[in-house]
Amino acid sequence: MTDLATADGVRLSGLKVAHGDVVALRGVDLTVRRGELLVVVGPSGAGKSTLLRAVAGLENPCAGTVHFGDREVTRVRPGERQVAMVFQSYALFPHLDVAANIAFGLRARGVRSAEARRLAAAAATVVGCGHLLARRPAQLSGGERQRVALARALVREPKVLLLDEPMSQLDPQLRVSMRAELRALHDRVGGTTIHVTHDQAEAMALADRLAVLNDGVVVQVGTPTQVWGAPATDFVARFVGALPMNLFPADAPWRPAGVRPPTGGQWGVRAEAVGLAPAGADDDGQAEVVRVEPMGADLHVHLRVGGNPLVARAPAGTVDGLTGRVTLRVDPAAVHLFDADGRRLP
Amino acid sequence: MSRTRDGRQLSMMLAPYLVGLVALVFVPALVTVAMSGTEWDLITAPRWVGAENFIELARSDAFRAALSNSLTFAVVAVPLRLALACGLALLLQRRTRGVGAARTAALLPTAVPEVAYGLMWLWLLNPLYGPLNQLLTVGGENGRTAWGTLPPQWLTDPQHARAGIVLMSVFTMGEMLVILLAARRALPADCYALAALEGARPWQVLRRVTLPLIAPVLALLTLRDTIGSLQVSFVPALIVTDGGPPQYATTYLSYFVYRNAFEYLRYGYAAAATVLMLLLTVAAVVAQWRLLRRMRW
Repeated sequence: MTDLATADGVRLSGLKVAHGDVVALRGVDLTVRRGELLVVVGPSGAGKSTLLRAVAGLENPCAGTVHFGDREVTRVRPGERQVAMVFQSYALFPHLDVAANIAFGLRARGVRSAEARRLAAAAATVVGCGHLLARRPAQLSGGERQRVALARALVREPKVLLLDEPMSQLDPQLRVSMRAELRALHDRVGGTTIHVTHDQAEAMALADRLAVLNDGVVVQVGTPTQVWGAPATDFVARFVGALPMNLFPADAPWRPAGVRPPTGGQWGVRAEAVGLAPAGADDDGQAEVVRVEPMGADLHVHLRVGGNPLVARAPAGTVDGLTGRVTLRVDPAAVHLFDADGRRLP
Repeated sequence: MSRTRDGRQLSMMLAPYLVGLVALVFVPALVTVAMSGTEWDLITAPRWVGAENFIELARSDAFRAALSNSLTFAVVAVPLRLALACGLALLLQRRTRGVGAARTAALLPTAVPEVAYGLMWLWLLNPLYGPLNQLLTVGGENGRTAWGTLPPQWLTDPQHARAGIVLMSVFTMGEMLVILLAARRALPADCYALAALEGARPWQVLRRVTLPLIAPVLALLTLRDTIGSLQVSFVPALIVTDGGPPQYATTYLSYFVYRNAFEYLRYGYAAAATVLMLLLTVAAVVAQWRLLRRMRW
């Protein structure tokens, strides 16, 4: 399998890709370290798949460069880049059994049939589909198909592994267990991996580092903790996290004492940092409870304060019988400030 | 309760089709089978002759020639039509400059009425002034080709005449082309992206991706065209070669039946030949179905 000795880092510089008049990537700079699992996350239409396809060589960039290690591959054909990809649709061939599907690339490169089948069986065992070799894709479940696609990607020992929304066709329970398996697999076989997803929970759970992509631009790169703890823009603040950050315009009627957002800017606070107390005599910080969503261990408390919506997350049982009015407790140290252009202020 | 109503609705909606099927297909088929045991000239009353028509068919040179011609035609023309349609579909599936005009050109022969198409080929195949042979004799002398050989004698040499009929039929594959174009364009783009990533060369993509993925459609078209091949040779044989050159170079089963029924007024004899044609079709379809059904997944 892939290991650190053969893996390459990936460096994108000023990468621009356009499909006709539609600009998909508008100057992307991104470095993926050797052996790292980098997750590219962003909303639909952000250009995530285009970015992945550009790394694979399936897109023709109109500007910028792609480097694998020290080698520039911008104009190198996909088949010569030694990258492997798992597609959202898995792209398994219906007429081939699992073994032949996994061996497809080896056979195309002239590996002899017996040897290709041996390598395919080995790769299938690594991803846990060794017992399915004789089946056709139509006889497999979604999770099994994904394993086969993964085995096919790994069997050639690629320098870079690309995963395009590989979990999107799985049901939620399976998605959670598969992502743990995928992470364990990466830790075991190593290799540089770029994983694209629109699911921020999947991104947080898997990533060594996250790259947040929006509208064809990389907005922020960092570990999940860094990106969640210090979002670079108001977009990242809203996008990353189980609950979007509560954001208020600078001139909102209420803000915690000591918080001074810039004119035209915003201040924000994570739902986890909003404390709730019974409404006191003091009118300051009083919010109206709109709806309480019991999420099991937590409650999501939807509130309105000074006309703005706000969500607080509180452990179940700590706030009983929440109705009517409550007082908000927000530590000024937990407040994030963004300027008029949406950029984070230190 | 609602089940019986559903059933009644269903039979009411199916009725027009069933009536048509029975009146226009089943009954005539049965009448044909019955007629095949008679001698009938449409004027005097039919006379029961039992299996005599079939015995006569078995001894007839004309029928044996027609049977062999029809089988040869199917074996040669069906793969050629399919290959041309498939090749053109793969060539014309991209949307680039000129593709629209090329598609129209490829479809046009199919849209021409059959009789007009036959008359056109009568001129194209003319050995003296037909453009085909004029083209073949470019660079040659005394009406010979550049290599000194005689150009094909489309209307007088039996082999050449049969080849001419196949040639005519090859260009009317427009319907297959349309179906294959649609089938090719419906193939998942990811499979091609994957093939590119795995370093597959163009011929490998054709052999390992495109052909296997459209194989079910090709199988269906083979089946359909084999059935059709018993018919498509009829108009060319009638208009271009008149079943000749003598004796029976281009007498196909359909033409044999037509001649015996409408020119020699031997309806019982023609019906017997039709019954054999029908059995042949059934046998061909069953044989192919057994071969091709493995392609389903």
